[in-house]
Amino acid sequence: MQQGGYIIQSQHLSVNDGDGIRTILFLAGCPLRCQWCANPEGFTSQAKVGFFAEHCTACRLCTQVCPQGIDINLNLERDRCTACGACTQVCPHHAKKYLTEYKTVDELVEEVKRQMIFFRHSGGGVTFSGGEATMQTEFLRALANRLSDMGVHLAMETSAYFDYDKVRDILLLLDQLFVDIKHMDDAKHQQYTGVSNKRILENISRMKELKIPIVVRIPTIIGVNADEENIRATACFVRDNLPGAQIELLPYHTLGLYKYEALGLPLPPERFVAPTAEELTQLRALVESCGVVTTETK
Amino acid sequence: MSITPRVEKIRLNYVNAKPCISYERARIGTESHKRTEGKPVCIRRAQALYDCCEQLPVTIFEGEMIVGATGEFRKCGILTPEFSWKWVDKEMDNFATRPQDPYIMTEEQRKFVRENIFPYWQNQSLEESFVNQIPAETARILIDTGIIDNDSKWRQAVGETTPDYQDVIFKKGYGGIIKEAEEHLAQLDIAKPEDQEKIDFYNSMIIAMKALIVLAHRYAAKAREMAAQEKDPVRKEELLAIAENCDYVPENPPKTFFQAIQTVWFTQLGGVLSENPLALNPGRFDQYMYPYYQADLDAGRITYEKALELIELLWLKYSEWVWTISANTADYFAGYNQFQNMTIGGRTSDGKDGTNAISYMALKATEDVKTHQPGLSVRIHADCPEEFMAAVTHLVSKGTGFPAIHNDQAGYEMLLREGYDAEVAMDWSNCGCVVPHNRKAGEWTAAVNVNFGAALEYVTNEGRSRLTGEKIVNDVIPVSQYKSYEEVKDAFLRELAYLVKHSVVGTVAAQRLHTQMVPRPFLSACHEHCMESGKDLSRGGAMYNVGPVLTGIGLAACANSLAVIKKLVFEDKVTDMVTLCKALDANWEGYETLRQQAQAVPKYGNDDDYVDDIAAEIAMFYYHQCHSYKDIFGSPFNSAFMGISNYLPAGKIIGATPDGRKATEPLTEGVSPYAGTDTTTPLAAMRSAAKMNHALHSGGTLLNLRLGEELVSTKRGQNNLAAMIRSFFSLGAFHVQFNTISTETLLKAQADPDSYRDLLVRVAGYSTQFVNLSKNMQDAIIARTAHKSF
Repeated sequence: MQQGGYIIQSQHLSVNDGDGIRTILFLAGCPLRCQWCANPEGFTSQAKVGFFAEHCTACRLCTQVCPQGIDINLNLERDRCTACGACTQVCPHHAKKYLTEYKTVDELVEEVKRQMIFFRHSGGGVTFSGGEATMQTEFLRALANRLSDMGVHLAMETSAYFDYDKVRDILLLLDQLFVDIKHMDDAKHQQYTGVSNKRILENISRMKELKIPIVVRIPTIIGVNADEENIRATACFVRDNLPGAQIELLPYHTLGLYKYEALGLPLPPERFVAPTAEELTQLRALVESCGVVTTETK
Repeated sequence: MSITPRVEKIRLNYVNAKPCISYERARIGTESHKRTEGKPVCIRRAQALYDCCEQLPVTIFEGEMIVGATGEFRKCGILTPEFSWKWVDKEMDNFATRPQDPYIMTEEQRKFVRENIFPYWQNQSLEESFVNQIPAETARILIDTGIIDNDSKWRQAVGETTPDYQDVIFKKGYGGIIKEAEEHLAQLDIAKPEDQEKIDFYNSMIIAMKALIVLAHRYAAKAREMAAQEKDPVRKEELLAIAENCDYVPENPPKTFFQAIQTVWFTQLGGVLSENPLALNPGRFDQYMYPYYQADLDAGRITYEKALELIELLWLKYSEWVWTISANTADYFAGYNQFQNMTIGGRTSDGKDGTNAISYMALKATEDVKTHQPGLSVRIHADCPEEFMAAVTHLVSKGTGFPAIHNDQAGYEMLLREGYDAEVAMDWSNCGCVVPHNRKAGEWTAAVNVNFGAALEYVTNEGRSRLTGEKIVNDVIPVSQYKSYEEVKDAFLRELAYLVKHSVVGTVAAQRLHTQMVPRPFLSACHEHCMESGKDLSRGGAMYNVGPVLTGIGLAACANSLAVIKKLVFEDKVTDMVTLCKALDANWEGYETLRQQAQAVPKYGNDDDYVDDIAAEIAMFYYHQCHSYKDIFGSPFNSAFMGISNYLPAGKIIGATPDGRKATEPLTEGVSPYAGTDTTTPLAAMRSAAKMNHALHSGGTLLNLRLGEELVSTKRGQNNLAAMIRSFFSLGAFHVQFNTISTETLLKAQADPDSYRDLLVRVAGYSTQFVNLSKNMQDAIIARTAHKSF
């Protein structure tokens, strides 16, 4: 049987998640529910159709093909949507669009092949992201092995919320790793993400065996985790448990909000605020003062 | 920011002053022609240049170090009534108010030329002869129609040549050229018929060379006269140095960098005064200037700063003279562009990397003064130094649209295919827009613009223009009778072949007239082989006579349109040909849903073989058509998908097209995607463009992309851009150029032109000041998709 899985998007010409020019494969499905999540379509590892109201011209072509008889505003009748995709085929403006869709490993490998020439000249490759890429473990394993055999430089962005031993063979195929620490305080971590950080921190400690460049990323949000105490605790944890890893502070952004609207989901709390450039500089200095190198991929 | 306050002052004048028309060259040249009636035409033209050089006002403008002006104004255009006076007569009352490339010309000036210059040229100009001789069937689609267009070949001089500094001008000096011509004359026998023409030619060359020597000496005298009155001791010294230079060059081979650069300008000036050319290219500037720079550095005669200042002053000289052109031509070549293409970097004849200190200074000068001239091109090869690549991407990040980035290897292959020796082919430089050529060649690199959209329109409208209803071709069946996509495509290709044929007719007619009416003694003297062959450039005197280039316009728009017909009519059957064509007749009004479906069909520029294969097939067909015809020298015609601004006027005459485009909107340039439809990534646009065999289209191929300025604002971003360029070239493509200005900046510039006078943008194959483009043209630039994804 042809192996495949659910994918949010394959994004080519990405340059901020690893070396060179990269293709990011966003795999659907995530065990966390971070309140600031920029890819809420990744919550589920099933196909999902989004409705982008601002692109809609009310031509009603979608209503003519929907087997469920759903009207233009899909979000009002979402419980009846089976994500068959008929509407996405006919919409001339991509107002109805798969936010996650099923793709085979072969299909994705074919897409990646077209980018190989740009990888070669830039030292780039493929980065797995999500969602949480390890959720669809078999899909990820198949992709990672195929691409590794092709000689593609592999990186992954992960929450580290997984069963380490079950994905260890995949981690060993990677050339570069980005891992999040969202909060050092377990209670707060549970409050904001829905899960405990215990397993995450344990897994991160084990990653030193990989002997590859690792960047620990902190999604930096005022009012959540951007206080000095938490940043210092994170830096000290990295210094003591993952020697050689660098820290990158990623300021909170609201670029994913439109997807909440497309899925008919409630928006993240407005009290989440991005740090100013000045605050970021201060926090970076704090990290450095703890003995950890900071990095910025721009 | 310019390197010195002197340069900055001149730069500000260049940015703010409006170009003025001078009739001095035309007046003196006309008086001269009255005195030389009955003499051979090459002698008459050389003598007219001589008389101009003897009588033109000699002006050294404030702060100048490199001297020589085309007329009495600093920003100045000249008239060449021997080519065409009619369009000037018809249009000059609107010069100041026309939307594209306006000029200042006073009422007094207009009265003078109408009374004293134009009457002499009545029935004598190239334009009148051309229009009288062209067959009616060709004329119907060639003369000011926008279907096929070559008016720059009979309302203007050809230009499209590169003076040979390496083997002729710097080596011999004009004095040496004269001496050599005299030696040839001594060997000829006036009693032999074939020698008579050669005798005339060598004499014309001698007169033309002497002309510029006379002009240089007048500048020397003027500089001395000014020095005598100059109170500032620094300027006084400068004026004396200028005088010394002008006494010595261009008569003798230059001894210093300063003299070499003055020689370059006098040679350019000689070309301008002799014919007001487009694309008089400086060629491989870094190669021929570097030895002088190094020698001066070694001798302690120059510093980096002094040399850079001179280079920046030369850039301003290239930009201050204005190519005077008709409103029609200005639509095709918008932005006061003279197409003086300079090529830096790349391999030398022996295959080694040729970058040197001057290569970097040329990039720096363009960054500093932001002049639209010279058209700065770079050659990138597989082993191009990282430092040079970094300097190139740095300049890209400044948003000037410069440099035009070319694949060294693809250019080499294009010239090999044209039959150049490998050694000469490797030494290529650009002509005009993006045409790889060599200083040993005579050729017409922009012979005709061929509107592919017209061929498409005839197929979908029974041979008629959709906008005027005029029946243009007779061999097209009613749209209801097409039974398959192949039938539609074949009909399209048949009409395309028809346009190519008449483009050939128009070109050959123009070539024949050029040999009879407008020989080019001055520029022939700048060619190595004309001296040996004893033949004028216009008569095939160059070492290589390369076939004229027919430029295809609208490749992507036509590929997209055929894809729509293929998918919607014959595959998915959501519509039929009759309905689709009715929608086009209605300019899509009342057919919004169908239009949306058409827009959703795969578009060229997204690495989708469905439509890219159609583009590649059209391109291949076009190449074979062009290549099946020969010009007056027996050279096959060449195909090109290059830019200029031709996709705007070409679009203006075409009704709605099946791709969803509305009537009169721009078509597409070169191998670029239709504006705004390359929505995937620039990588995908590059892959689409690289699917055709670029080496076949030796008239040049062009891809323009817009990048969000933030993409290349960091060193890391610039390195990734370098990797993109190298990837694109390793796929075999020839050229790419980037606009990196944000949409917001362009909108601001449109609203407040005075604050953005120096904002340079890439038009197509060249850059020009954004505020000097018409509103239409500005909108077209803004419409290009800006890629922001990395």
